[in-house]
Amino acid sequence: MDLIKSDRALRELYAGWLDIATKAGFVVSLIAFLLYVARVLPAYVALEELPRYWALPVHQFIQATGAPSGWAWLAELGYGDGLNLLAIGLLGLVTPLCYARLVPALIAERDWLQAALAVAQLAVLLAAASGLIGGSG
Amino acid sequence: MNAADLAAVPWWIWPIALFVVSFLIGIIAVLAGVGGGVLFVPVVGSLFPFHLDFVRGAGLMFALAGTLSAGPPLLRAGMASLRLVMPLALVGSIASFAGALVGLSLSTELLQTSLGILIIGIAFVIWYLRGADNAAVNADALAALLRLEGQYHDPAARMTIDWRTHQTLLGLAAFAGIGFLGGVFGLGAGFANVPALNLLMAAPLKVAVGSSGLLISVINSSAAWVYIHRGALLPLIVVPSILGVMLGSRIGALLLGVTPAPVVRRLVIVVMLLAGIRALTRGLGIWT
Repeated sequence: MDLIKSDRALRELYAGWLDIATKAGFVVSLIAFLLYVARVLPAYVALEELPRYWALPVHQFIQATGAPSGWAWLAELGYGDGLNLLAIGLLGLVTPLCYARLVPALIAERDWLQAALAVAQLAVLLAAASGLIGGSG
Repeated sequence: MNAADLAAVPWWIWPIALFVVSFLIGIIAVLAGVGGGVLFVPVVGSLFPFHLDFVRGAGLMFALAGTLSAGPPLLRAGMASLRLVMPLALVGSIASFAGALVGLSLSTELLQTSLGILIIGIAFVIWYLRGADNAAVNADALAALLRLEGQYHDPAARMTIDWRTHQTLLGLAAFAGIGFLGGVFGLGAGFANVPALNLLMAAPLKVAVGSSGLLISVINSSAAWVYIHRGALLPLIVVPSILGVMLGSRIGALLLGVTPAPVVRRLVIVVMLLAGIRALTRGLGIWT
């Protein structure tokens, strides 16, 4: 396959996954937000209490409210704010997902250099998402 | 309004106001050809009661959401090049991740002052820089190795354009710097991506604009996680902003053909100068 055709196929592949994952992320975000502000789910930090704290720097906000940081929010998915963090996190996973789909396609085309770049990018994104580096302050 | 007055405002006013502001920024950003984050962070940081930590976190998600949704049509039209984006995004996302860590450890005053200076500087950059449609260049060795080249069809010019880039090492260094600043301040940094791709690396303007969006979506994905893990993303701030910019960007795209772009461009520069001066005076303690 020549470069132009190969590029077009890769762009289509990436665009298709990006399109679906982004739309899904937005729908999940919207539903989670409505459940949160309509108080269908309880809030970890009560909505009417938030204005007292949101002018604080983040470390003081966490001290004052006991809000979770690191991965601790995963244990709070029964709360509206915890569920919304999951929805926001899903948007942060859209790009790693698309890169993960790209890697086998690049390997199949024996485009080793671009495949190595994609793997390296995936490693950086997953390291950031894991919170292992710089995850807590 | 002082802090006590602001705290007395019912909580639900703020997400509605954020949605409206994000919606307007979404329209203006598309019409002016700038990333929304560069308006969102200084405007929301100056006019809303939230701490800058939360505004920068929301700014990153704002830019991420806008570029994720714009990505598929840009890729399908050949305006965004994966081959060009991949090496630059790798360098940029490592730098952006480091920038986010640094940004969350700096004092608010220093951040406000630096943000003010940066935003005023960017307003001048937008004022002075014009895009260029470059003549064909000879690829350097690294660009040839990475095959940083492509082809796209320009319906306006009714022609298919073959392109390649050069000055790859300088481009990588530029994207390390741009990614770092984006991570520190929660900006998408499209204002800098486009000139770096177009003027420095000689990518055609449309490819530079399209690839810039894709770059932001990759680069901000790494920095966003720093803000998530540090607890610096408040859903009540982030989600209305994301929804507002998504809708606003679509309206902006519809208005693109009938709006005088130079007028909008001047409006953006004025808004940025005002927001930059406001951030600067807050940071210096002159007008808090």
